[in-house]
Amino acid sequence: FGLSLPAVAVLLVALLCLDPHCRVGSAPICAHGPSGCHIPSLADLFDRVIQHSARMHSLSNDLHSEFEQYFLPSKNHIGKIYRKCHTSNILTPNGKDNAQKLAREELTEVILKLLMAWRDPLFQLHQSMAHQQDFNSFSSNKALEMGDMAHELRKGVEKVAEKMRVLGMLGNSVTGLSAAEAMLPLSDSGEAMSDYELLYCFRRDSNKVQNYLKILKCRIVPEHDC
Amino acid sequence: MAAQKQRRERTAGELGTRGAQLQRTELTMNPSRGPHFTGCRSREQETFRCWWSAGTFQNLTEPGALRVFYQTKNALSEWQECPDYTRTVENECYFNKTYTQIWTSYCVQLRSVPQNITYDEACFTVENIVHPDPPIGLNWTLLNVSRSGLHFDVLVRWAPPPSADVQMGWMSLVYQVHYRVRNASHWEMLDLETGTQQSIYGLYTDKEYEVRVRCKMQAFDNFGEFSNSIIVHVAQIPSKESMFPTTLVLIFGVIGVVILLVLLIFSQQQRLMVIFLPPIPAPKIKGIDPELLKNGKLDQLHSLLSSQDMYKPDFYHEDPWVEFIQLDLDDPAEKNESSDTQHLLGLSRSGSSHFLNFKSDNDSGRASCYDPEIPNPKDLASLLPGHSGRGDNHPLVSRSSSSIPDLGVQKTSGVEETPIQTQPAVPSWVNMDFYAQVSDFTPAGGVVLSPGQLNSSPVKKKGEGNEKKIQFQLLSDGAYTSENTARLLSAGVPPSPGPEQGYQAFPTQAVEGNLWNGEYLVSANDSQTPCLVPEAPPAPILPPVSDYTVVQEVDAQHSLLLNPPSSQPAICPHSPNKHLPVIPTMPMGYLTPDLLGNLNP
Repeated sequence: FGLSLPAVAVLLVALLCLDPHCRVGSAPICAHGPSGCHIPSLADLFDRVIQHSARMHSLSNDLHSEFEQYFLPSKNHIGKIYRKCHTSNILTPNGKDNAQKLAREELTEVILKLLMAWRDPLFQLHQSMAHQQDFNSFSSNKALEMGDMAHELRKGVEKVAEKMRVLGMLGNSVTGLSAAEAMLPLSDSGEAMSDYELLYCFRRDSNKVQNYLKILKCRIVPEHDC
Repeated sequence: MAAQKQRRERTAGELGTRGAQLQRTELTMNPSRGPHFTGCRSREQETFRCWWSAGTFQNLTEPGALRVFYQTKNALSEWQECPDYTRTVENECYFNKTYTQIWTSYCVQLRSVPQNITYDEACFTVENIVHPDPPIGLNWTLLNVSRSGLHFDVLVRWAPPPSADVQMGWMSLVYQVHYRVRNASHWEMLDLETGTQQSIYGLYTDKEYEVRVRCKMQAFDNFGEFSNSIIVHVAQIPSKESMFPTTLVLIFGVIGVVILLVLLIFSQQQRLMVIFLPPIPAPKIKGIDPELLKNGKLDQLHSLLSSQDMYKPDFYHEDPWVEFIQLDLDDPAEKNESSDTQHLLGLSRSGSSHFLNFKSDNDSGRASCYDPEIPNPKDLASLLPGHSGRGDNHPLVSRSSSSIPDLGVQKTSGVEETPIQTQPAVPSWVNMDFYAQVSDFTPAGGVVLSPGQLNSSPVKKKGEGNEKKIQFQLLSDGAYTSENTARLLSAGVPPSPGPEQGYQAFPTQAVEGNLWNGEYLVSANDSQTPCLVPEAPPAPILPPVSDYTVVQEVDAQHSLLLNPPSSQPAICPHSPNKHLPVIPTMPMGYLTPDLLGNLNP
């Protein structure tokens, strides 16, 4: 460029000064207090989170169906119905009554554990699907989206837990889920789980998360005949 | 392979779709079916049931022969027997809430305990075998009916099955509505609906419809049973009344349009006629307005016509009979070579030596010119019918140079030619002299032409008044002996107003186009002159007037044979006075020498 230094400086100043609103800065959304903007209530937060989990579960179901449609498990797998997922170690209530009987803190913790446990495996799943040429790009994109959704859902549930803690609904028994429990998705035999197994397991777990959240909301936010 | 495939398909059909993951293993491949599970279902995701059949094995139909064992695969647990064999229903095993674990793999086996044979096994997870109960409370309400009355829309409502816990969200259900025309074979399916109501559009009013609904768990594939069908029917409203105003409006609209068109045509008739039937252009002379020809002024027409080629003055040069004779009043003795007489004689001279000798005179050839004092000579221009006198009547077109009244005086001296000269546009033919008066015969047979003598005094005396009158008096210059002149000759009395009237008669007659056909009868005061109405004794004629002689024929020797005048003059058709004596027949317009002789006192 033949631009001289003063010209560049002038250009920069002009760009900066042209639109002062373009300056990016971090400002709190509701800086002016409760009247400034609408703070979502706990019920709203729960609704959002539940919607999110429903979408995530739907995605996992679609992926699983696709996988099963194109890659029927071989006959060898017939006998091996029982697939031990890596999250099987986590004690989860297996029914509505059990989940309702569980304490809120524990239920919340279970949810967070589950979501946390799937962070890395979903990433792996996406990587694995993207590399394979059998899957079309649409499926691999779904896997990526699923991973992102799981991540966002976890963040959302953490926010909800924080809110509940603030509101005094949760005791302090909820430990910090720093969760160094980085569980590697290992099958019984110790080898890495296949994509199909991962999908099968995640489909199950996403349904768990969705239902747990609904039960939790019903208990936290009293609604009609909950 | 085929059997295994069949087995798998049966599994999918009976126990749910592939997603049910109910995989069966048959230990025996028996074509005739042995005992087997017919299905396992959960209604609300809290309990489930399994059914089996003994198949063709008749010996195992008694209850208790076959037993169901299950195993949950959470942890390695032993096979347990069915917790509850339903008493009311045959071959059903019921797992209540206590024994139902969601998200847990189950395997059930059908065994015959005495023989320790496992006839069938099925593995599943409960959430994959959930088939919700049908919705309840299906009803419909009419949304609207189309304007034509042929279609209508309904809103269908239902309630979720009471067994499903949708309020807490334990089961999130989606619904599917079917409808069809009653007793039709094909059901119309609408999209999945998460709510408990749905609209159906575009139904026909005169048809009965069946509507039913079913539901399934969201993100799962197993639909429940259909609800009971309801009948939707809307009677068609007879819409004859709605048609009536429409037809009326149509009819009135058409009539209005027709009336408008007729009015339009009648109001714009002229324009339409011009557009559709353009007028044929009438022939016209290029550059000349036909209206002007009809009604225009003489001078306008003269200017117009002069601009045309056909009225070039050169036109007349071609005609030897038409000449422009210059009259020099200052020098009456000057000869004009181009006089009529000369031409007349010139022709004959070229032809034969026997022709009339022309006694050239100083004044011969002198033509009276167009008198500029003559007021409005152009009026006579309109009298000229173009150049119609080409054939019979040679219009004398000559240049005017002098005044006629003076001419008369001058010409009394000698033989003079006083042909009247006029401009082309002012064909004062009344002043023209085509003929030279023969005054005398030479012994050699030649004809001596003498200029007409005219006493212009009568003209002057009558100077006022009618122009045509004056011009007619000019007629008597030289060639013609006008009535007045004849009068003068005979009686030497100034002409009275009487003959003037007679003269007035002449112009009118002349206008009609008969220039030389005997209109100008020079009459004497006596009755011998035809077509004269002299009511007074004729004026005394001052000098003797030269005579006219009609050239009857030309004999073989190229000599003119002149007719003696007859004593019977022709009767002037226009003579108002009947008492006029009949003049011996002769060509009209000529005064024979005899007559003239009689006129002379």
